[in-house]
Amino acid sequence: MLNIALPKGRLGDKVYERLASIGYDCSEIYADNRKLVFESEENNVRYLLVKPSDVAIYVARGAADIGIVGKDILDEGDFDLYELLDLRLGVCHMCVAAKNDYVEDHNRPIRVATKFPNIAKRYYSSFNREIDIIKLNGSIEIAPLLGLSDVIVDIVETGTTLKENNLRVYEKFLPISARLIANKSSYRFKGDVINDITQKLREQLIKEGKI
Amino acid sequence: MFDFFGSMPTEDRLIFELSKLYEQYGYRKFCMAKFEEYSFYSDNRDFLSGEGVIAFNNSDGRLMALKPDITLSIVKNARIDKNTCTKTYYNENVYRISQETNDYKEIKQSGVELMGNIDSYSIGEIVTLALKSLQKIDSDCVLCLSHMAFISAVLDEMKLPATAKEQIIFCQRNKNAHDLKAVCDEYSIEEKYVEYFTALTSLNGKFDEVLQGLRYISMNEATDKACDELEEVYNTLCSVSLGNKVQLDLSVVNPSSYYNGIIFSGYVKASPTPVLAGGRYDNLASKIRKGIGAVGFAVYLDNLNLHYPVESETDCDILILNKSEHSDITLMKAVEDFISQGYSVRVEKEIPENFKAGKTMAFDGKEVK
Repeated sequence: MLNIALPKGRLGDKVYERLASIGYDCSEIYADNRKLVFESEENNVRYLLVKPSDVAIYVARGAADIGIVGKDILDEGDFDLYELLDLRLGVCHMCVAAKNDYVEDHNRPIRVATKFPNIAKRYYSSFNREIDIIKLNGSIEIAPLLGLSDVIVDIVETGTTLKENNLRVYEKFLPISARLIANKSSYRFKGDVINDITQKLREQLIKEGKI
Repeated sequence: MFDFFGSMPTEDRLIFELSKLYEQYGYRKFCMAKFEEYSFYSDNRDFLSGEGVIAFNNSDGRLMALKPDITLSIVKNARIDKNTCTKTYYNENVYRISQETNDYKEIKQSGVELMGNIDSYSIGEIVTLALKSLQKIDSDCVLCLSHMAFISAVLDEMKLPATAKEQIIFCQRNKNAHDLKAVCDEYSIEEKYVEYFTALTSLNGKFDEVLQGLRYISMNEATDKACDELEEVYNTLCSVSLGNKVQLDLSVVNPSSYYNGIIFSGYVKASPTPVLAGGRYDNLASKIRKGIGAVGFAVYLDNLNLHYPVESETDCDILILNKSEHSDITLMKAVEDFISQGYSVRVEKEIPENFKAGKTMAFDGKEVK
């Protein structure tokens, strides 16, 4: 039985559709209930619906064999996993954004509000810029408006939220999309089925002209 | 009947079984001090791949460290003969920052180190011992073999900046072909190398099939030689009927520049992380002692009690409830009698909480009933 961790929400739904179309469907998942674990004995798969930011932990700890997770979560954490495929879903960028009239003051550290402190630290340390990290858990856009931070480091998809809050992107530095990940030990013992899924998903992407 | 080894927690049992295995092959136990001078680790920081070291001041003011690694200490302290081999094994604790909790953790390790004049038999013996060690944990195990030359010999030829090398190695370790392509684009890497590294990310599986693929993409004399070395090791494992437990996987890469030949990692079914890692590290050994070679591995014993719990139906074969204030001698004799018959016995005044006894008896001051 292969355990697959799916992120709850729109991305998880899209990925499930793809997995179902390549022979790993589990009709039980369509039932209108609050269950978080769905199993198809026929296809030898079990789907676990988990919070998107927890998918990598489930896979790293072996509770799931494979999973689908955003590149932002992988880069923010430090997980020893296989990253088998870029699914080209949920495509966006990690960006530095600030108020429309922002001008950087080079005489002091930049105050950076973000949900991704490790990514932000790595980015600024790559050009040796001193920063003051302000870790927030949501509504990041409000931080520069209230003077809490100079800039924000966050995921930007369309930029609409930034625009509506009089902010703009100053730097795009990390492409983000959903990735197929696998536990390294599971890969040793369930490699055939994991490779089958990876290969079939890759073929779909090639057919769609995405890779 | 009392089965001492059978009821032992997995980690404790393994220390006995692995020690026996290594002694059978003529390895001698190496006992070491708990501390080393801090400067020793700072001089060899590359080998420790960024793991934090717990440092403290000794009574004479010297800066000391709790061992984050055993191999370094063995290479430094062992009496090594250049013409023969020194074969040692150890059961020790190391102190490192845990990747999961980002906090210091005590890690129980066993392992072997073979240093001196390394020949192909030595490498075959170490890899055989690695696989036999895995089998002591679980017969459902896999040893993934690789060779550092496939990465290092090609990266050296390309003369890339250190950051590019690090990124390529990171992508290899994670079988990440998509980000590897982005790295290659960023550094304008020649197409033949892009194809080579992309192929490496996906080369894994049954030894024979993968080796064929490896020979096909081999880039230079060093990678040709690495194929031959791998084949030799595999043939050794087949000769002792262990070939079916081997996979060839080029994502097994150690970022430390101290490794230079065969490397491997071991997996058992119930553990989500590798439980064994090792390889040839002549570059480190010869840095500390000129001209010597070295090969070895470590078995990570922590968490094996969690993944392989020992379930016993009882805590003790016989529980004797002592209802008497006197006649200790009679009771002691009765206990000795049961033990000599092969039972485990516990004497208590009351039944302990959550205690499971095979048989409960009582002592009334005269006899055990």
